[in-house]
Amino acid sequence: MSGYKIAVLIKQVPDTSSKAGVNPDGTVDRARAKKMLNPFDKFALQKALEVRAEHGGEIIAITMGPPPAKEILAEALEYGADKGYLLTDKRLAASDTLATAYALYSVVKYLGDVDIVFTGLQTTDGDTAQTGPQIAERMDVPQITYLEKLAVVDGKIHGVRVIEGGVQKLTTSMPALITVANSAKPLEHKRFHNVHSVKELLRNEEELANKIFTVNLDDISADSSRVGLVGSPTVVGKTWKLGEKGGSCALFKGDAVSVEVAELVDKLKADERGIEELVQ
Amino acid sequence: MSNYADIVVIADQIKNDLRPITFELLGAATDLAKKLGVKVQAIVMGYELGDIPQTLFHYGANEVFVVDKPELAEYTTLTYRRAALAVLEAMERPPHILLCGATTIGRDLAPRIAAYFETGLTADCTELEIGDYEHKGKADPAKTGLHKDCLYAIRPSFGESLKARILGPWKNPQMATARVGTMMPNEPDNSRTGKIIPVSVNFDESDFRVSVEETVYEVSNTVDLTQAKVIVSGGFGLGSADGFDVVRDLSSAFADSAVGSSRKAVDAGWIPYAHQVGQSGKTVRPALYIALGISGAIQHRVGMSNSATIIAVNKDEDAPIFQFAHYGIVGDLYEVAPLLKERFKTAMAGDVNVAKVGG
Ligand SMILES: Cc1cc2nc3c(=O)[nH]c(=O)nc-3n(C[C@H](O)[C@H](O)[C@H](O)COP(=O)(O)OP(=O)(O)OC[C@H]3O[C@@H](n4cnc5c(N)ncnc54)[C@H](O)[C@@H]3O)c2cc1C
Ligand SMILES: Cc1cc2nc3c(=O)[nH]c(=O)nc-3n(C[C@H](O)[C@H](O)[C@H](O)COP(=O)(O)OP(=O)(O)OC[C@H]3O[C@@H](n4cnc5c(N)ncnc54)[C@H](O)[C@@H]3O)c2cc1C
Repeated sequence: MSGYKIAVLIKQVPDTSSKAGVNPDGTVDRARAKKMLNPFDKFALQKALEVRAEHGGEIIAITMGPPPAKEILAEALEYGADKGYLLTDKRLAASDTLATAYALYSVVKYLGDVDIVFTGLQTTDGDTAQTGPQIAERMDVPQITYLEKLAVVDGKIHGVRVIEGGVQKLTTSMPALITVANSAKPLEHKRFHNVHSVKELLRNEEELANKIFTVNLDDISADSSRVGLVGSPTVVGKTWKLGEKGGSCALFKGDAVSVEVAELVDKLKADERGIEELVQ
Repeated sequence: MSNYADIVVIADQIKNDLRPITFELLGAATDLAKKLGVKVQAIVMGYELGDIPQTLFHYGANEVFVVDKPELAEYTTLTYRRAALAVLEAMERPPHILLCGATTIGRDLAPRIAAYFETGLTADCTELEIGDYEHKGKADPAKTGLHKDCLYAIRPSFGESLKARILGPWKNPQMATARVGTMMPNEPDNSRTGKIIPVSVNFDESDFRVSVEETVYEVSNTVDLTQAKVIVSGGFGLGSADGFDVVRDLSSAFADSAVGSSRKAVDAGWIPYAHQVGQSGKTVRPALYIALGISGAIQHRVGMSNSATIIAVNKDEDAPIFQFAHYGIVGDLYEVAPLLKERFKTAMAGDVNVAKVGG
């Protein structure tokens, strides 16, 4: 065998830096929002590209989502992935992380013999960082989360994992699941050559069907009772806006800076906020 | 005795040093346990744990499960997973609630435990409460109906400027990870004791598929941002990496202080990631937070808005940070910061020396 079979999990998320679909109070109208590739997943894609560049093999990008999520699979191909799989099925709606992890695990199992699964650390929408480890539990494989650097030597993964105030150097056997930290190396630019061939590909439906595959739960023999609302142990019970706290800022402006500073410090003292004890 | 099972906290320790999140979790668990009339139990895993169980009692645990094994000297996912499962499976019934820290350990371990038990897990909570929940949806009849005394796991969704209450009352344990710096620890009571329950664990060979070669603590990170009493943070308004000299200088006016930053300053390469405050950095709650040249984006705000006193310096009067800072100066930080330092020293230092002698 030459090289490794590498799966990279990517998710399409609302692009909140775009004005479209983002209400003035910051809340998001998902239907109208522009969509993008979860920025955290780019670090995962980069790691996959590094491993393939050194050892050869195949990179398969996988996403679960509604049909437009295909866009990010094409984007992954532009960055250099070999193939894409879209898992789309109405029964997946309202899946929490446990259900999402089961669904994505089912795709990985369907592909068979995957050596490394890379995921982002977390997404910018659900933002839980749970999906990766929950897939690893289903696969019964070891995981390295918060991975910053890695080298694959003799079939083992040597990784550097970020922890509070330092790093851990770890070695694991394969297959393994890796969640990549956002302090890892950023994704390199798309190669012109790849962008060009994806453009061609998108014009040729037959070819496209050999690169980007669309599957539903039945295609991959997944149990529909373990996904969606029925398969999710959690629900979002209620949401409310992140309230504007404060709004009563004592603002010093318009005077000479030295006057403003003096007034501020005097007010701090008068308000008895205990700042005195902090000065050394 | 309550109808409910107890509340369990997984202690977060590195090299036999209990991380502050453990005390925060015990504080939160104490409040929840009172409402349910149940006990607070802690699980601590490691090697040569010594008097760690006692410390857990001081901070609110009623019972402590101890798994003390050489194989647990360093945290690895699979060995700690095995040990935690050994404790949880030895219980007569699953805990009502199981809490972990949203740390690099808790966020690594909790999802595996939740997936193993096929139970719900809410990530990065900033508030935990108990309350009733009526599930009105009929799509899944097994879920419909009123559920008493559920865990309300509340978490912000920064991307969408929302707070969400997540519920999973259908199966115990109801699990959550808590964001560092958001829960209040109990005052430690050194006279408190409790029951220690040693638990044995049988490792499987497959638990050792990952080995730790080395753990390195970076010298530049010796100041723990989450423990500092004063944080002076710099943002993109500094204009360059050298700008952090001004930040450091102001910070040096305070005892027990640390330097923080916005993500934009980190992304610019001006300061290491370890200093980042906010959604994808640290959550801090110091007595005093001074923001220099930081606009106050929601992702920054959620990491520091619980600071007791917030002072913002920004040249733009309309900067969002003035909407939630307690004190603000509109001006050039390069002028303001040195004057602030001087003024703090002259106007306030007097009282301090007295306090210091006393303390
Ligand atoms: C406001 C809000 C709060 C939520 N809170 C919770 C909660 O506390 N607990 C809970 O169980 N669910 C929660 N959910 C549901 C959760 O967002 C979804 O289950 C989602 O499908 C996966 O979680 P995530 O976005 O957090 O991904 P993460 O777990 O943060 O994602 C980690 C990585 O997994 C991979 N990945 C995740 N989703 C996909 C996908 N669809 N396709 C391909 N790869 C993927 C990516 O590589 C990603 O970088 C919440 C949803 C919302 C909107
Ligand atoms: C998923 C995600 C996660 C994120 N996580 C984080 C996070 O953890 N932490 C974080 O901080 N951000 C985070 N961000 C980024 C956040 O949205 C903002 O982009 C960032 O906080 C802006 O940093 P800043 O305030 O330093 O820069 P800017 O927004 O550019 O603000 C600079 C400010 O400096 C002022 N200024 C300029 N010159 C001077 C001067 N001479 N004197 C005084 N004031 C001056 C300006 O008026 C301006 O208000 C995240 C974003 C996303 C999408």
